[in-house]
Amino acid sequence: MSDRLTKTLDQVRSELLSELSDNDRKAYIQLVDWLRKTDVASHALQVGDTAPDFLLPDAHGRLHSSEHLRSEGPLVVSFYRGGWCPFCNAELRALQAVKAEFDRLNANVVVLSPETRDLPRQLKRQLNLDLTMLADVDHGVAISYGVLFCVPDEAKAHYAGQGYDFGHRHGSTAWMLPIPATYVIDRGGVIRSAFVEPDFTIRQEPSDILNNVCQLSGSQAQDASSSGE
Amino acid sequence: MELHQVRYFLALASTLNFTRAAEMCNVTQPALTKGVQKLEQELGGQLIYRERQLTHLTDLGKAVLPMLERALASTEAVRRRAREFQRKEVAPLAIGLAPSISASLVLEPIAEIRKFVPGLHVELREEPPGRLVELLLEGDINVALVGDLDDKPERIDDWALFAERYVAVLAPSHQLADLPVVGMEALREATILDQSNCDLAPKFQSLCFPDAPSQHNHRGNRDLHLQHLAAAGFGIVLAPEHMPRLPSLKAVPIEGDPVWREVHLLAVQGRRYSPALDAFVKVARLRDWSLHTGSRLQTGYRSHLESIGVCA
Repeated sequence: MSDRLTKTLDQVRSELLSELSDNDRKAYIQLVDWLRKTDVASHALQVGDTAPDFLLPDAHGRLHSSEHLRSEGPLVVSFYRGGWCPFCNAELRALQAVKAEFDRLNANVVVLSPETRDLPRQLKRQLNLDLTMLADVDHGVAISYGVLFCVPDEAKAHYAGQGYDFGHRHGSTAWMLPIPATYVIDRGGVIRSAFVEPDFTIRQEPSDILNNVCQLSGSQAQDASSSGE
Repeated sequence: MELHQVRYFLALASTLNFTRAAEMCNVTQPALTKGVQKLEQELGGQLIYRERQLTHLTDLGKAVLPMLERALASTEAVRRRAREFQRKEVAPLAIGLAPSISASLVLEPIAEIRKFVPGLHVELREEPPGRLVELLLEGDINVALVGDLDDKPERIDDWALFAERYVAVLAPSHQLADLPVVGMEALREATILDQSNCDLAPKFQSLCFPDAPSQHNHRGNRDLHLQHLAAAGFGIVLAPEHMPRLPSLKAVPIEGDPVWREVHLLAVQGRRYSPALDAFVKVARLRDWSLHTGSRLQTGYRSHLESIGVCA
């Protein structure tokens, strides 16, 4: 299954990249170059760091607390850019495809984007997802994880030209986005694996996330049994 | 960007003084300057004009300030919630409601927040929209729900929550009460109860009765007074669909739903958000209001309303 999923994400990425117009390709390269040059990813939290807790609403306005989520088992937190991004949608579909495996491991998976209003609900319906989609309203979580950046003017003009108004989508005047990142957090709130990639077309394979969760579940089970001895 | 860089910039924006900002953040001035410079590099321009006597925000600084304030407020609210929870502190939340907004609309968000903020103490306050803005700025209320608002200070954050249509509110004994919808012709012939100082009247006039004025025989300056007149059979009140109304009244849609309004959430920019306020604002900006109001504010819908000129 992991091969298929890897292939699927890779295939989608290749397909989407091959479909980019010259203009889109230029904008993509420019933005990734800028993200690398400004070293945005260097601010991101790393393995061993304490994950900041959050309390965020899901697509239906119900609140979810990270403390509660991680108390039930490994917590996977994945930042995505928004429903307008085809690479994000591919990632969400891939995560959905292995959701049952996360459930089996008692792992909670939450996907976070800065989109508000009815956008997360629309996306859930459109992609037929039952993942917990949280709205990082006003980017508080992305900024505390160090994965937030202010969209540079050139990229802003490009996205605006494509009809994307992030101000409207996020309910704010400034255009900010997270770089895609996936974290696995243990019950104690410590980051046990981190995947942060400024090239937003590259996402962590769900099979790799599952492996990280498996390892964590194994070590937590071991911890529990040794503490019980 | 990093959280500490944002803290440094916000301290600098509030003091406009590097020394005082560094003291506020408990760091050295060079560390603060370096942090702000890094943030400037990332944001692609200067945030602060550094002049000896006159340190002030650049246009870019002014543009990103509200967003960064909200982002930081949001992260701090989570930490404060944990502290409040441990100390079993009271968490007050004062919500202002315009007279045309039913308190029933905010009950579910409040119930949701109470699950996570056990010390929640809610105060509901009804005032006209202009007064609610004053109360927000004075700090007497934390958040407000209003319909149309003409003048809004820049310091007020404003999020559109949902759109609702205007309906004909009338007594069950009224001759139009049993119709599925009230047609324009019937409305033109009916007596409309006029609310003094209401900017909606000219809008209805131009949209619904462009050639002939509607009949206004009776008037009042409060919704409730007009509703009593309507209940007594004096005429029809044109009102937002979910405005609180007397149980003795009936609401009938107007043909073609020609007039709508948006309901907005207001809060003061740059003010420290309590955990309860932070949670309320977030829930309000995500929940599906259409389940409770029957009319949704979908993305793109607002521009549609504006384009056809029916957004009151």
